[in-house]
Amino acid sequence: MSDVSAQMPEDDLLAAELALGVLADAERAAAQSRAAQEPSFAALVAAWEERLAPLAAEIADLPAPPQIWERVTAAINADSPAEKQSAGWWQSLAFWRGLSLATGALAAACIGALIYLGNAPQNTPLTAGIDGGGHRHFVATIDTRTGNIAVVPAAYSADATREPELWLIPADGKPRPLGMLRADRAVTIKIPSELAALTVGNAVLAVSLEPRGGSPTGQPTGPVIATGKLTSL
Amino acid sequence: MDLDANRSLIVTALARIPAGDRAALQTVYRLTSAKLFGVCLRILGERSEAEDVLQEVYVTVWRKAADFDAGRASPVTWLVTIARNRSIDRLRSSKQSRRMAPIEAADGVADVGPMADVALENAQDYARLHGCLDGLETRERSALRGAFFDGNTYEELAARMNVPLGTMKSWIRRAMIKLKGCLQQ
Repeated sequence: MSDVSAQMPEDDLLAAELALGVLADAERAAAQSRAAQEPSFAALVAAWEERLAPLAAEIADLPAPPQIWERVTAAINADSPAEKQSAGWWQSLAFWRGLSLATGALAAACIGALIYLGNAPQNTPLTAGIDGGGHRHFVATIDTRTGNIAVVPAAYSADATREPELWLIPADGKPRPLGMLRADRAVTIKIPSELAALTVGNAVLAVSLEPRGGSPTGQPTGPVIATGKLTSL
Repeated sequence: MDLDANRSLIVTALARIPAGDRAALQTVYRLTSAKLFGVCLRILGERSEAEDVLQEVYVTVWRKAADFDAGRASPVTWLVTIARNRSIDRLRSSKQSRRMAPIEAADGVADVGPMADVALENAQDYARLHGCLDGLETRERSALRGAFFDGNTYEELAARMNVPLGTMKSWIRRAMIKLKGCLQQ
């Protein structure tokens, strides 16, 4: 294929392959992550999308079932910062705030139990509400005695293709991956020993949306949707 | 409604979404959901999957509308690209083996798709692209169309057209080089 590649830079060919959709799993994920990080490569991909998109004119319109709009509305109500209307209880910000307060109370109760059971008051637990867009997405509590971090979902609504990944951002500002979170249940993660010294009050926890299985680069590749500062209880 | 009026309605509505304007999202949905549902279903082949992805597409539009730059891309291109990318991501993550009919390289009929709504889209862009596709070899055009409309990978295309993987890669790459050259003229 050297004769072919000589006529177009390899990056432009890769951008064309990504835009067309012919790359398989790992190659596609790698190219997507490059596009997310390198504006020059992203521009090549966008140029190919622009070239190819007119072909979609050949696909006949098909009316979408009416319940799709309702599902869209329900999904954005769960994460909209601009919610003002009071349509139903599930759309109400007060409901979601109440839910995250309840979740926070639950987390506090868990910590209480943890202090009681651990009987080790010198190891003060740390906690953080991980918030974004006016919502509490997760509540994290760290048992500094065992080095475990427990993360409970609050108002976080699952993204269909990406998964939430938890990051520790200590004083140096560099994100360290801690592990993948779940929308439907609490997750407990063992903090790597080399990060234990950095997991202190005022360090930040952040959640980004990443490809399944986590960021392929060791750094956040998707949007950071929520952050929160660790504080001692 | 003519194309220009439609396009400027979509652009105006997209610009209002980052401020949290739901009515604007509904306007975009009303004007484009039939097109995007067609795109999702074409790639995914399954109605329930296409419905799930269509929902994701508009949630993405809600969250990412600030990224749309009317000076750089047409709104339909931006939306179609989100729908195609989401559909292909879903296709790849579902891991199900897909039933794929062989592609006949000489199949002229398959190369003339239904063009009922071409007039509603950017007819000039489409006519130019179509002209350039006509300049490709039949097998290159068939492979490229299989990739665009069915979301096939190189491996799937090679299997459908019964050629080695390396051959398929050079067909597609050659097709893209010719296409870019032709569209630049």
